[in-house]
Amino acid sequence: MMNRRNFNKLVVSSFALSMAACSSLTSVGSLPQKKKRVVVVGGGFGGATAAKYLKKFSPETEVILIEQNKEYYTCPFGNTVIAGINDIDYIKHDYKTLESKYKVQVIHAKVKKVDGATSSVILENGDVIPYHRAIVSPGIDFKYEKGYVEGSEMYSPHAYKAGAQTSLLRKQLEEMKDGGTYVMVAPENPFRCPPGPYERISLVAHYLKNNKPKSKIVILDQKKKFSKQGLFQEGWEELYADMIDWRSVEFGGKVEKVDPKKRILTTDEGDVKADVLNYIPSQKAGKLAFDSGLTKGDWCPVNTKTFESRLVKNVHVIGDASIATKMPKSGFSANSQAKVAAMQIARLLKKMPIINPPKLANTCYSLLSPSYGISVAAVYEAHEDKIKKVKGAGGLSPMGADEGFRMQEAEYAVGWYQNQMADIFR
Amino acid sequence: MKKIALALVCLCGISFAADYDPVKGQMLSLSCASCHGTDGKSSGIMPTIAGMGKTTMYKTLLDYKNGKRTGTMMQKHVKGFSDAELEQVSYYFSKVER
Repeated sequence: MMNRRNFNKLVVSSFALSMAACSSLTSVGSLPQKKKRVVVVGGGFGGATAAKYLKKFSPETEVILIEQNKEYYTCPFGNTVIAGINDIDYIKHDYKTLESKYKVQVIHAKVKKVDGATSSVILENGDVIPYHRAIVSPGIDFKYEKGYVEGSEMYSPHAYKAGAQTSLLRKQLEEMKDGGTYVMVAPENPFRCPPGPYERISLVAHYLKNNKPKSKIVILDQKKKFSKQGLFQEGWEELYADMIDWRSVEFGGKVEKVDPKKRILTTDEGDVKADVLNYIPSQKAGKLAFDSGLTKGDWCPVNTKTFESRLVKNVHVIGDASIATKMPKSGFSANSQAKVAAMQIARLLKKMPIINPPKLANTCYSLLSPSYGISVAAVYEAHEDKIKKVKGAGGLSPMGADEGFRMQEAEYAVGWYQNQMADIFR
Repeated sequence: MKKIALALVCLCGISFAADYDPVKGQMLSLSCASCHGTDGKSSGIMPTIAGMGKTTMYKTLLDYKNGKRTGTMMQKHVKGFSDAELEQVSYYFSKVER
């Protein structure tokens, strides 16, 4: 029989239960009482790394990572998927280890904007998540131009954000007839992953050489020169003879207009008809950066020692969207910037002086075939308003290196990808 | 006398090895992790550098820097760091448990 005392106990415990349920639902709606909270928006190379390393440097800080997708497909090694060397699952990653091992609170939702005035992140569903500091890693968006509009990517894929676009370009390449023409429009500077388009061309050539050897590749480049150009062109000659026709902006490459459905490009030297058209538009910071008032021109100005926005206090911008000249917009750069930003933020939250000057690095491997790799590297030091290359360090792979050297760099490219993914997601 | 002894201790300290600065060591180690894995624990073809002996690692890095050792990549990175910085990086990884 239930006496009054037991009844009271029951009331108390059910009240406690409902409180617990409420607090877990609303806990992100207000700032924690005794802890600091950092909200990271965007779960790519920059954001996911920043979330993990913040917990590593400062386990007592509450770290919330907001990312709309449950799975993340990397652009690096996406070209091996387009060429049929790897399956799409090879470039797929998730956030489970960040949650279980590092205690990052991951929320899959769309962010409307980061509001510096109220120090909170506003979700599209109206929820408001306040922060002490925020890290924004929004990546890039495309400038629609010359007839390439939103939706054009369904006919003429850019495949410059990985996932469905990667698979679509792979499918179109597989369906292309032997003797067909694969045309790439390569963007003007600055853009994500400077050697990326040229690695893609190399691996597409590798696929065509082995499967559709009568085919041609044309690159209509919107600039005069490109990253690792000497090394790429040396390798193309050696591996693919005259299959690749690179046209610079000065000599037939300049695109005036595009019809993405018919895959016809108008250039100053006449029309070019493509069987597969891989159109990579010019780029700017991701939409979220614009909606949050973080941009000046196309990109986000930051204090290069901490990556704190120069426009919005307590908001740090890392990765492709930030102006981190001389660092290139690469996954490696974003990962390097994220770790430095996390370390500085952990110190700022404890009112400790920042590390001055921080050092950063970049290393980019590119594959010309599965057994032919080249690289470029640099070490950087962050000064007040810019990031300088450390003189005497870094550099390109040598020209004219032997087969063994290229093979070794191809193996290191794979090793880099494995360890880089582990450094971000595991 | 005490002052002389102290000065001697300090001098010896400088001539053999610099003191470990954990904050600097950790900051400088961050870019290593991108290729060698978090805290130098590699799961790919790059060698694991976590828990490597400090003296061995420091000597290896100096050899890359001075051209006594050649590779495809390492010499490009070590040239971006002073000897003192390379020593701090070596300290950092020597203290990571494998």
